[in-house]
Amino acid sequence: MKTRRGFAAVAAIAAAALIFSGCALNADEPEPAGAEGGATLRIGTTTDVANFNPLGSLSKTDSWILNAMYPQLMRIDSSGQKVPELAEGYELEDDGATVIFTLRDDYEWTDGEPVTSEDVRFTAQAIIDNQLGNVAAKLTWVQSIETPDDHTVIFRLTEPYAPFAEGVGFWMRVVPAHLFGEVDDLAGFANDSNWVGAGAYVLDSMTRGQRYTMKANENYPYAPEGGAQVETVEYVVYPDVNTMLLALRNGDIDLMGNSVPASAVASLESDPNIEMAEVGALGFAHLTYNMQHPVLAEQPVRQALSMVVDTESIIATILQGDGEQMAGPIGPIFPGFDNPDVEPYAFDPDAARELLEEAGYADADGDGMFDELSFEILCDQSNANLSRVAEVVREDAAAAGINLSLACIERNTFLSRTKNGEYDIDLSQWGVFDNPMDQLRSTYLSSNPGGINYNLVQDAELDALINDAAVTIDQDEFAEKIQAIDEYVHDQALLTPLYVETFRFAYRGDRFEGFDPSPSDLLGMVTGYSLAQVRAL
Amino acid sequence: MLRYASKKFLRAVLTIWIAVTITFFLLRLLPADPTLLVVEGDMTPEMQAALRERYGLDEPLLVQYVLYLGQLLTGNLGVSFRQLTPVLDILLERLPWTLLLAGSAFALTILIGIPLGVYAAVGRGKLVDKLVQFLGITSNALFVPSVAILLLVVFAANLQWFPIGGAIDPDTRGLAAYGSLLQHLALPLLSLVVVQVGPYALTLRTNMLEVLGEDYIKSARSRGFSERRTVWHHGLRNAFIPALTLMGLQLGSLVGGAVLTETIFAYPGIGRLIYESVQQLDYPMLQGAFVLLAVTVVVANLITDLIAMFLNPRIRT
Repeated sequence: MKTRRGFAAVAAIAAAALIFSGCALNADEPEPAGAEGGATLRIGTTTDVANFNPLGSLSKTDSWILNAMYPQLMRIDSSGQKVPELAEGYELEDDGATVIFTLRDDYEWTDGEPVTSEDVRFTAQAIIDNQLGNVAAKLTWVQSIETPDDHTVIFRLTEPYAPFAEGVGFWMRVVPAHLFGEVDDLAGFANDSNWVGAGAYVLDSMTRGQRYTMKANENYPYAPEGGAQVETVEYVVYPDVNTMLLALRNGDIDLMGNSVPASAVASLESDPNIEMAEVGALGFAHLTYNMQHPVLAEQPVRQALSMVVDTESIIATILQGDGEQMAGPIGPIFPGFDNPDVEPYAFDPDAARELLEEAGYADADGDGMFDELSFEILCDQSNANLSRVAEVVREDAAAAGINLSLACIERNTFLSRTKNGEYDIDLSQWGVFDNPMDQLRSTYLSSNPGGINYNLVQDAELDALINDAAVTIDQDEFAEKIQAIDEYVHDQALLTPLYVETFRFAYRGDRFEGFDPSPSDLLGMVTGYSLAQVRAL
Repeated sequence: MLRYASKKFLRAVLTIWIAVTITFFLLRLLPADPTLLVVEGDMTPEMQAALRERYGLDEPLLVQYVLYLGQLLTGNLGVSFRQLTPVLDILLERLPWTLLLAGSAFALTILIGIPLGVYAAVGRGKLVDKLVQFLGITSNALFVPSVAILLLVVFAANLQWFPIGGAIDPDTRGLAAYGSLLQHLALPLLSLVVVQVGPYALTLRTNMLEVLGEDYIKSARSRGFSERRTVWHHGLRNAFIPALTLMGLQLGSLVGGAVLTETIFAYPGIGRLIYESVQQLDYPMLQGAFVLLAVTVVVANLITDLIAMFLNPRIRT
């Protein structure tokens, strides 16, 4: 009978495993809301929340949850404009060197404390002192912060910086000073329990690897009359976008947090239960040339490269039409700043070849390729669209006598190499640029080593243009100067912009309506403001 | 016997140390910098330096290694770069799910594999034997992710009998919670068992065939024991010992399989945690997870070795 005992032992292992995991049997979870409670909206995401500390800039899922939870001074509306959120508005004094925010008086932390100017001051000061996240770079100019009363915050800057108010207003999540002030090491603070927020939704419970549950904040001032209909927001973690698509169709989730891949659009359009919202983007795909490369430092070479990129056909085929062409570095979401007179380089490999010959490049061995023109394109293999773009560009460049080799590599390595300038041509997609001035400073200013000047450009003329625009407070004059930089960068061909993607977000139209999407795939449909406006059907 | 056991024990400790060392250096050979992933975009060199210091990445590699070993000996697995939470806490949160999945896969594989092997051996050459051999070879050739994706598409996406991902529905309580647990477990479990059971049945069949030809089986038969008793008691008991070693080995591939299945089914165990931590280059998290897995596999092997020693006195000397 020993064998039977053996089987019993094996069965016991299985039972023990089941019992051991019994601790996960929802014992700690709150009771589900009854029928009298509001609606629950389930959102799919592909990553866990890495970090609940709102003072750092982190992953996409982090920002979805933390942006809904902690108020920002301003938010971005569907047309890309900054509009008031915690701040009623702001004023500039001293030619823009003093920025005065006036706060609403009806914001309250969920523990009952009012949100005051001290919270804003504390947050900004903590970010400056600890150099936290990408907001630290936006606070560079701050000399002092004053709070004359509970609803006024005055930032005094070392010099005027035109987009300061909107940059800080949009990116800085305000945290409760009375709680975060107690923490010794803010940079190492996990903030992973007992959450207190003042945004539209506040995190209530979480099970890592599975779900994050948020509850509506009853005091959120921008909720519609009678309060938000969606009382509970649940983020459910899936391994990838394709699995999430299946879950949406199944009805396991109501909204995909990530954008729908172009290849899946057609199949979702045929599903009567699913609706899609289209939003523009604040980032764009581009080729960036390493200016430290002796050959790429030549303007005609960069211009010729721009002429072998067939953006129209790339948008039509690879994006299946879901994109917009760009000419210069300023995206079309910023009308008035995007220079309408700048035209994209026309696709013309023959003209590119002529341009290179005029510039003195030759094909001595007669193999059809210019002898000195051989570059490597570095790209991030996790972006399937870009890997395909790389193939197309390589073929068209060969027709113009330029030899391109591709290195589409794993994302982490890609980031390391671009950051360190270890590439010839970088093919990638910028995430979010919320204003043209910050973008130009970050990408082209030679004295901004912490920025994302992947071109490694050191151009005194361009520096002067950027620094001059940065201190221009008059709006019309400011816009003209940005347009001039747009044209200069285009003419220099520091980059070849490829496209601005149109993002689509899919949701169960049979269950919910009334989302207010933001123009970026970082925020998309899942801002606290948007979720608070949603109506259950 | 004690000498044999202590030799095995020392070898287990050595194996764990080697695994820890390889993991440590392998991660640091990756051509990427974890500090770059914390803040994408604007980061001043000062910010990056501060992060490197915070993570202890500014120390020479050997110093980092020695510090890490010292930390390990005190049972401290460090703090996750990304989650800022002790690695051990996160692992303990995820471990029950992996234990449930891998444990029940292990148990089911044995419960199904053993009878299949025995019946095939007893009915050698008959239909049942051919069937088991066919299934065994097919199962052996399958790859966990392919099976998992197939099951996901057919049973979760199209037929909608099972959920797409997760481990349990949060709105369930009591018995319903167990039901939900099993429903979420079914497909990941099946994908592991389908792949594991074949090699198991085949090995047992081979062992059983050898054993059935032995003299003591013939003598058992001649002494008038029933065929059932002869096969299941005398036969299986001896065929089981070599299969035990296989069990230990299979635990390793089970753990590997669990990483893949958990990722595909969004099952919140250690496997999926590893997948996420690789993407974020969270060194402490990855080191902790690998140490835990190495210890699990090595200890399981040690236990199977010791069990085999008790079952077969010849090993003891």
